[in-house]
Amino acid sequence: MMLQNSATPARVLGLYDEPFWKRLKQDGRLSLQCCRHCSTWRYPPGPVCQSCLSPDYDWKPVSGHGEILSWIVFHRSYLPEYSSPYNVVAVRLDEGPTMISNLVEEPPPGSVIGRRVALQPVEMDDGVTLPRFRLLD
Amino acid sequence: MNRLSRVAAVIGVGHSDWVGDWARVRAGERPDDNYGYGASAFRNALADAGIDRSRINGLIVGPTTAYERMAEVLNLNVRWGDQADAVLSVIQAVTAIESGLADVVALVYGNDQRSVGTQYGGPQAMGGDMFLSYVYHAPWGMTSQGALYALMFRRFCELYGVTERDLGHVAVAQREGSSRNPNAIMRKTISIEDYMAAPYIVEPLRLFDYCLINDGGVALILAEANLARRLSGRPVFVEAVGRYDLNQGATSLEPRLTEFYRPAQQAVAEQIFGASGLDRKDIDVLQVYDSFSVHVPLALEGYGYCGIGESGKFMRESGIGLAGALPTNTGGGHLSESYMQGWNHQIECVRQVRGECGDRQVPDCRRVHYCSDVAGKAVSIIYGA
Ligand SMILES: [Zn+2]
Repeated sequence: MMLQNSATPARVLGLYDEPFWKRLKQDGRLSLQCCRHCSTWRYPPGPVCQSCLSPDYDWKPVSGHGEILSWIVFHRSYLPEYSSPYNVVAVRLDEGPTMISNLVEEPPPGSVIGRRVALQPVEMDDGVTLPRFRLLD
Repeated sequence: MNRLSRVAAVIGVGHSDWVGDWARVRAGERPDDNYGYGASAFRNALADAGIDRSRINGLIVGPTTAYERMAEVLNLNVRWGDQADAVLSVIQAVTAIESGLADVVALVYGNDQRSVGTQYGGPQAMGGDMFLSYVYHAPWGMTSQGALYALMFRRFCELYGVTERDLGHVAVAQREGSSRNPNAIMRKTISIEDYMAAPYIVEPLRLFDYCLINDGGVALILAEANLARRLSGRPVFVEAVGRYDLNQGATSLEPRLTEFYRPAQQAVAEQIFGASGLDRKDIDVLQVYDSFSVHVPLALEGYGYCGIGESGKFMRESGIGLAGALPTNTGGGHLSESYMQGWNHQIECVRQVRGECGDRQVPDCRRVHYCSDVAGKAVSIIYGA
């Protein structure tokens, strides 16, 4: 069950999404919008802070560490870029937001819910740097 | 008291030939388009109500058709109209009737999703522009609405000890109902063993956890309560309605992954039970919007039919089949009757209360609770005699 590293399905690239992908590619670190007013982290990128509605923010790196909330294995291929089986995980970042991503390794037998993970940027053949995760312990 | 309680009643229901059209579409035909399916359902609902078309002065069409065109096709000039999904269209019709904007409202839905190949997963996923979570995670291969529910169910199992085998009771119970429903597309009963032997689609969900995709239409006619009593010998009243939304973190599936949408369902339960003078013991049949089987255990817990984490035990021991403690999706639901995006559940509610469900009739059915917990909102309706 190897994750493919060749092509990235179309990304949602709205007005606020570009820096997320650009910064990851440049420095290999995950950066999110952080409210300049109340320091609340924001993901997915958007126009205002969900806590205080302030439109002012900075892109700041996060630790890239988090915990697995849940995981699944696709046994059917819906996207030409991904042939099954492959895994998808939901990771709660230590800073708060939840990201949907993949584990770069084969999920071990049993449950991985609650396991600690770290960011693993993956250089796709199409030039996109994709934020995936690896198990820490 | 719920202000919308017994303000309006359903006086007519109808649907297109789901079973016949299923066979025709599989044979490569295109029997109808969205409007045609809606029109045939409307014709049947009108006949069921026994009223003349000219009596209708309100119209709501489903989200799959354009309002103006559907009204043109049905040749309805009305004084009030709207476009809404199944559960909201019933609530909006009741609201319009309560405020005097209309007194006989037709609700019409048609969908040719199977014959035109509507995609609910993959690059052209339906609603992608409306619901960001359907498309946002595509770079990681995360698409298909079933996958969202698979992710939620995995965590639910982990936290509460519910098992994949427990979930199988949903598909098994609904096939029991659909096997006795001449309007259902899937008529063959299945066992838990059949369920477990079916392939995973997105693990931990299997084939039988997924809804059908078929063509068809559904229509309902609602009338102001006093008028309904005059027009119909068997009006089915809307007893209570409720709604609550959880939208914080929706794209990352937060409301589902961390709380299984439960706070929204609990808020709705307070609206439909406490305030209406009704309680769970007054409910004879439950109908749950079941794009995926997972909705059923979550609704059982969220609406308080069993304790938190006890839905597995409830389905296993008390039962959700026709002879169970709480018969659920008695017509087969989206999994086995027809995937009409919640619309077919409305007419099953009405038919159970009328007592016209034949072999799948729940004896002495007086009240049915319909709930849907999808796309950013938890909504409920209680129908009663
Ligand atoms: Zn803020």
